[in-house]
Amino acid sequence: MKVDLLKLVEYGGCSAKIPAKQLEEILKFLPLPSDPNILVDIDTHDDAGVYRISDELALVLTTDFFPPVCSDPYEFGQIAAANSISDVYAMGGDPVLALNIVMFPAKGLPLEAYAEMLKGGFDKATEAGVRIIGGHTIDDTPPKYGLAVVGFVHPEKIMTNAGARPGDKLILTKPLGTGVIMAAQRMGIADQSDIEEAKRQMKLLNKTGAEVMKRHGIKGATDITGFGLAGHLLKMARASKVSINISMKKVPLIGKTYSLVDDGCIPGASFRNLEYCENDTSFSPDLDYNLKMIAFDAQTSGGLLMSVPADRLMLLFLICTAGLSSFGL
Amino acid sequence: MKIVDTKGQLCPAPLIATKRALKETLLGESFIVLTDNQTSFTNVSRFLKDNNTPFTATENDSIWTLKVTKTTGELSKPNVEEFCEVEVPHFQKGDFVIAISSDRMGEGDAELGTLLMMNFIKAVHDLDILPSKMVFYNSGVFLGRKESSVIEQLKDLERMGVTLFLCGTCINHYSLKEEITIGNVSNMFEIAQIMSSAGKVVKP
Repeated sequence: MKVDLLKLVEYGGCSAKIPAKQLEEILKFLPLPSDPNILVDIDTHDDAGVYRISDELALVLTTDFFPPVCSDPYEFGQIAAANSISDVYAMGGDPVLALNIVMFPAKGLPLEAYAEMLKGGFDKATEAGVRIIGGHTIDDTPPKYGLAVVGFVHPEKIMTNAGARPGDKLILTKPLGTGVIMAAQRMGIADQSDIEEAKRQMKLLNKTGAEVMKRHGIKGATDITGFGLAGHLLKMARASKVSINISMKKVPLIGKTYSLVDDGCIPGASFRNLEYCENDTSFSPDLDYNLKMIAFDAQTSGGLLMSVPADRLMLLFLICTAGLSSFGL
Repeated sequence: MKIVDTKGQLCPAPLIATKRALKETLLGESFIVLTDNQTSFTNVSRFLKDNNTPFTATENDSIWTLKVTKTTGELSKPNVEEFCEVEVPHFQKGDFVIAISSDRMGEGDAELGTLLMMNFIKAVHDLDILPSKMVFYNSGVFLGRKESSVIEQLKDLERMGVTLFLCGTCINHYSLKEEITIGNVSNMFEIAQIMSSAGKVVKP
């Protein structure tokens, strides 16, 4: 039996996040634990928490899971794993261990689909050098999958949202548009080639980009996921106490993303992200409306965004040639 | 009046239908959009507001009715060429070749020589004008080993478009075949050709 996971979901991938605005309201009521060994917590809205074990070693902890973003269970497994592991890369860490987090209907879907999904996750984790040593499954529809990942990082080499400095240039390592393309796919109006390209980008580990960042001692970085490019930039700007300008004209897009948005294919998540950001964002009067909405497109397993001292733009080239599409903003 | 019925449809279908209707409607004319989904209603309203398109909305029994009037012609259209622009940096190369004949730089203390060679490669990596090619022979080929302390710099140089040539005879002599992962394995004829046709040859 051929399984089509997409038929089961309204919002796939990181678009299924609770709206950032709502989340902040809830998290306000949780006291932050205080411990000198906690080096990074949700205070700076970072991708992962970091806990110091010794002067040489800190643990990076992160988790992420979401409903299907594509039809094929194996590919979904790969994408979910790449996305979960990405948060460790975005903190400058090396991912090491992981646990599966799974929700899967006990009835109604063949268990082979479940096995395929886990196989996809396992293969992607292996590619990243991550060993999955356990997990937990709940009976639920639609399926959801992701990993809780542990990574290692040197306490002095952590990259955070708070590491951007005035004058830095920004580099993004994957094109935008996965949210738009997936919405268009559900509507049956996406080109097959664009769907394939979006899947290819989502499966791509942020490993190479992370290696380049580490080698060049980059301090400010994040990965672009559910809050969209503009949403994550706002988090970075707040944490680093800087303001950030981007020119949307320079941001690369997957395939026909622009014309899909021009046809009105703007996923609901874009409006949620816009609402979250607009009080702290100013838009140039000549900014094209479609590009503005693309800035808020929720990405699944998006690229790394690094804040790079202006004289180190050479990085851009290195990443380009390392097989990633990368772009200075 | 034309009615765009999006009841039962989820985001972004109602928005797509609205936008299509806007394109098909003549200036000054109106149409109706129906939706039974609050999120879709919010998103379509937001879209219309952002695009300065006037509308009135009413809700009845969880069905939202929007009356939309087209006032502006085309919705904002960008210049397609402009948003395709991508910057790719360019690395300048000079008409010179660097010949590395040893894994050490200069005569004298071996440890110092190794360190100097490492610094030399790192400095080449940061030059404003890069060499067009680099050739490695005799113990120079040791720099191309996987564990070499300058392997990352050499990889970067390759990525920046500098071609690396390693003497095959030398690799065999030192039994390094398994350990070399960069550059092109070359022969004496090619090395002689590269060095004799270069504007100048730099030998550390």
